[in-house]
Amino acid sequence: MTFQDLILTLQHHWANLGCIIAQPYDVEVGAGTMAPYTFLRALGPEPWNVAYVQPSRRPSDGRFGENPNRLFQHHQFQVLLKPAPKNVQELYLESLKMLGVNPMEHDLRFVEDDWESPTLGAAGLGWEVWCDGMEITQFTYFQQCGGYECRPVAAELTYGLERIAMYLQGVESVYDIEWVKGVKYREIFHANEVEMSKYALHESDPKMLFQLFDSYDVECKRLLDIELPLPAYDSALKCSHTFNLLNARGAISVTERAQYIKRVRDNARLCAKGYLTMREKLGYPLCKTPWTVGEQLPPLTGGVASDYWKTVSFQEKQAVKAVAHA
Amino acid sequence: MHDILFELGSEELPASFIAPVLEQLQRSFQEGCKSQRIQHGAIRCFGTPRRLAIQVCDVADRTEDMVKQVQGPSVDVAFDAQGNPKVPLTKFAASAGVPIEKLIRITTPKGIYLAAQVEEKGRPVIELLPEILGKCVSGIVFPKSMRWGDLEATYARPLHWIVALFGSDIIPVVYADVRSANITQGHRFLAPGKIVLNSPQEYESRLEAVHVIADIEKRKKLLIERIDATAKANGALALKDDALIDQVANLVELPNPIVGTFDPKHLDLPPEVLIQEMQVHQRYFPMVDSAGKVLPKFIAVSNTPVRDEKLSVRGYERVLRARLTDGRFFFDEDRRIPLSEWLVRLQRRAWVAGLGSMVEKSDRIKELGAWIADHSGKSALRETVQRAATLCKADLETGMVNEFPELQGVMGREYALHAGESADVATAVFEHYLPRGAGDGLPTQDAGAIVGLADRLDSLCGLFGIGRKPTGAKDDFALRRAAITFIRIAIGRGYRFSLAAALGESVKLLGSKFADVKKAQTADATKADVLDYFRARLESLWREDHRPDVVEAVLSSGFDDLVGTQLRVDALTARASRPDFAEIVATFKRVSNIVAKQANDITSAPVDAAKLIEAPEKTLFNEVEALQARVKADVSSDNYANVLDYAFRIKPAVDAFFDGVMVMTDDKPLRENRVRLLMHVRDLLSAVADFSKLQS
Repeated sequence: MTFQDLILTLQHHWANLGCIIAQPYDVEVGAGTMAPYTFLRALGPEPWNVAYVQPSRRPSDGRFGENPNRLFQHHQFQVLLKPAPKNVQELYLESLKMLGVNPMEHDLRFVEDDWESPTLGAAGLGWEVWCDGMEITQFTYFQQCGGYECRPVAAELTYGLERIAMYLQGVESVYDIEWVKGVKYREIFHANEVEMSKYALHESDPKMLFQLFDSYDVECKRLLDIELPLPAYDSALKCSHTFNLLNARGAISVTERAQYIKRVRDNARLCAKGYLTMREKLGYPLCKTPWTVGEQLPPLTGGVASDYWKTVSFQEKQAVKAVAHA
Repeated sequence: MHDILFELGSEELPASFIAPVLEQLQRSFQEGCKSQRIQHGAIRCFGTPRRLAIQVCDVADRTEDMVKQVQGPSVDVAFDAQGNPKVPLTKFAASAGVPIEKLIRITTPKGIYLAAQVEEKGRPVIELLPEILGKCVSGIVFPKSMRWGDLEATYARPLHWIVALFGSDIIPVVYADVRSANITQGHRFLAPGKIVLNSPQEYESRLEAVHVIADIEKRKKLLIERIDATAKANGALALKDDALIDQVANLVELPNPIVGTFDPKHLDLPPEVLIQEMQVHQRYFPMVDSAGKVLPKFIAVSNTPVRDEKLSVRGYERVLRARLTDGRFFFDEDRRIPLSEWLVRLQRRAWVAGLGSMVEKSDRIKELGAWIADHSGKSALRETVQRAATLCKADLETGMVNEFPELQGVMGREYALHAGESADVATAVFEHYLPRGAGDGLPTQDAGAIVGLADRLDSLCGLFGIGRKPTGAKDDFALRRAAITFIRIAIGRGYRFSLAAALGESVKLLGSKFADVKKAQTADATKADVLDYFRARLESLWREDHRPDVVEAVLSSGFDDLVGTQLRVDALTARASRPDFAEIVATFKRVSNIVAKQANDITSAPVDAAKLIEAPEKTLFNEVEALQARVKADVSSDNYANVLDYAFRIKPAVDAFFDGVMVMTDDKPLRENRVRLLMHVRDLLSAVADFSKLQS
């Protein structure tokens, strides 16, 4: 299966289930989660079901095109399902079958891996999905985003495309992946890796980057003040990427690091707040659509036990938790 | 009687949650039964990544019958003068359903009352179980739990099914979006259908038939057997780290070992690197030969007995190969660069803003380490300590440590050896980080211990000095652990340096740094703060094994010598368990109180023997005189128990003094002399503890 077929198969699978296929977001991000399709859309009550490829830039991982596994820029296939379908694990496993990964031939496992992004004020519980000991997907139930509780809870699936492709094609180097028949990853991206690594690790201008960071930081807050959360979020993303570049260049000390992360996080939080206000003003238009993916079980109502547990036990449980955490 | 089965089926739980939560389930079930007077037999727990279950034998069908005594009106109110029942009594008897002649009389503090013995019939247990089981599930406290859908309810991962059976009856239980039934599920891939259970007893065997070993211990045993058999078949031994066994057993419903190999060229990597990679990162079991040498083979454990191992093992091997290739790349690259170059690069690495680079920190560790060595009777190690201090942070710059931060120290040792440093220096570079966590011991050699002490003290003084001391839950630099480790090492290795002097030395070395930081404190304030911080750590450390007042009494008379302070607290605790100790405390507290009250007016000075008139004060004076030299000798040889024994010895003389001598006499010179005598009595023990702080 070529890299391109891999993308098309996943897109086809999730599109068939009712997801929109979005195109990669056009601001530099370190992960698909940071695209507004995930970060902002995970907030608030509206349904949202999306799948997209996100080229993700990780300046610190740049290896000048010399490391067979590590890249300045890799590709994530990102799926966000809100509310998370009850059968989301099965839907995911189906997608692996479409890729030819048969669960009777491989050891597929959901291994605890809670995810937390301090720079996004986001956190979730979930797994890394293992295929024969290899992590091929990050699977997360969003609990918090931009500092806000997620209601309803979204499921996020992040497929590591290069890793899956290398495995499916049985190649040892990312550069040997066949993108389409006859054309390898090397031909398409090797020069990019070399130059981007040189830039990020050796040639970037920290002085300019520090200035840019400050400018984007100011711009983000200014845009939020005039109630433009979407462009403000682009500035927040620019801040984040600039920080990553500075970090890769070794220009930020350990302590300064924490402060820069805080600035990025504060912006993400403010954008989340601005976005929520905006959607509320719009009257949550997506709530008026019948848009769902997968099995959506209605919450149980009625019945003696269920009534009882909705009232008494939850408070008791909170009390128990309060004691346990004290 | 019937058995109960209660199973909670969910998406894959974190391995570490399973055992503790099963304990909670069992406990809440027992408590629920107890409060409802439900008799039951043994409880068995089952747990896999997808299920938590309890199976209870012989649960009674009805709760126990009970006779309850209900209090009625008092005799005065109940009967008229003729002894005939009045209205309150007839009403009470009617409501209790007991004829008046069957009522009994009971005596209460308020007088004699009538009471009814009401028989309360047991209730059908099936009616009570929904509440008990509902509480069991809603009461679970996971280390971390989540919400799903749009529900309030939480669980470690989304819940999918509940089996709640009382015999063959379904107990109605609802939690979150799940309603109980008699349907469970087998292995996710080998038996994907639904399994209808007819009775609680068949749970274990029915699950086994669908490829799930539900009993944790059984699964663990099977895992170990299969790993051992697999290793043996490969002519090797498997390294079975206990924690890894526990973890892997709870990562699968059915353990299936798979053998993989890696390129033997990687065997020249340090064994720690190989083992770390396999165990921690991949959860593989490394294989070693009979001499303990790592072999280029491993055992991975699959949840599915795959159709073709050769196909599946490619994945396990591939991921390890990638990691080892990375590791090897870093190892080779790192060693190509001389140590001196790492130190140059280390200059670029800031430690903390305001406290300079890592090289500056290493330089301070070097000076402080030399001071600690000199003042702990280890001057001979001065050079080793200084060299190790210089190198101790160098590996932070290396590729390997950047990639695998948990190998800091290990790589420092390897690269030092590679660069031709002595084994002692290399060991110290590694050991200065010890203990890294709960599983580690203290440093085994002095040089590493001393470098570690200097490093931690520099962190404490530096960060306190620039106003970054920990507050409440916020301890970004793990200073609490640094202080506790410092104490454990100093005491564990018997170093007798003065804590205050060491602090002074550290603050002096940091001095110029503080001058540049806005929020910085003065050197004296820093010293005082860090000293207080040590005192608080000692206090909480010792409160685990010692009475709080004993700890306070010992710390109040100083903790500059940590080793001595530990011996003092131990000695005092041992003596404090004597039954007559309370009287000693009372006597010496009285001494302290009188001295404290007069302390403002009376300067300490030798007792004037000529001014002692009464026999008891002369006797006391002589005894004190006699003991002073012995106390001094015992303190200097750490015989604190002896010193405390003198308290028992001198007590009669002190008591006689209080009985026969008037301290607060109007004659000022006499009074002052007597108070001074008491000061000397107090001071006999003050090298061990401040007795005024003890509870009598």
